[in-house]
Amino acid sequence: MSDYVEMRFGPRWTYISCVRKFVASFFMIGLADKERAEQISMAASELLENAVKYASEEEGYLKISIEKQNNEVDVCVKNHAEAQQINTLRREFALIHAGEPESVYLKKMEEAAMTEGQSRLGLIRILFEAGARLRLDVNDSEVSIHAIFPLENA
Amino acid sequence: MVAETLAPLTAEGLSIVPAVHDTKMRLTMSGTVEMRDPGEMLNPFWSRIDMEARNRSLQSVEVDLQDLSFMNSSGILTLVRWITKLKASAAYRLVIRYDRNVTWQRSSIPTLAKLAPNVVVPQEING
Repeated sequence: MSDYVEMRFGPRWTYISCVRKFVASFFMIGLADKERAEQISMAASELLENAVKYASEEEGYLKISIEKQNNEVDVCVKNHAEAQQINTLRREFALIHAGEPESVYLKKMEEAAMTEGQSRLGLIRILFEAGARLRLDVNDSEVSIHAIFPLENA
Repeated sequence: MVAETLAPLTAEGLSIVPAVHDTKMRLTMSGTVEMRDPGEMLNPFWSRIDMEARNRSLQSVEVDLQDLSFMNSSGILTLVRWITKLKASAAYRLVIRYDRNVTWQRSSIPTLAKLAPNVVVPQEING
């Protein structure tokens, strides 16, 4: 059986917390698995934070869809982004998939501590801490990032 | 008497209450860290705590997270910065108390401790 939720809204930071809490409650009920529900809601929150930070200002919305189907949950956040941000994202994907997740996470933490600015720890956190698979789809200026969670007892 | 530098921090859904007992400081955190740039508020706060711990020659600073329901990756980075500074010039032990029933705490804190195992002690509660 499939469950599907979709929300579309302007890139406002204050919405993120409320979406995170909704996603956690929804999957707490739907999966009856607190740990998975909290991992999924953490991933949704981190992806939305990235989307709000790096979305193009010209296309002023982002979309989150969550689908539970075929023994997995797919959290997808879509937004429009400038070419430079898309290139940065591609490099980031290559980097976080270039080694064992915990080592990459620790290395990125050490690097982030030495530089000013954004943490850029969100994606590797989803990969390592939540145990999700990540996929990046780009269609012109539209970016979709999927965090895919296997379900043991779906 | 509580020194000015140990004033609590309360802002944007987060509260941190410091208290010193003998050679130990305890910081009790509650609420959430999910503001856009937590470093603006937390980096200077952790720096003040670090300076206070050094000035008082404290043996340990204990950060109690059990009532902190969520921390985003930018918030985690503030702890990474503190740990990195402490690792470079160790002066006290940083004990991080976390609740194993809170998923983000159980997954984030033991990993953070691996950054500096000689000075950071993860302490699991509700085990």
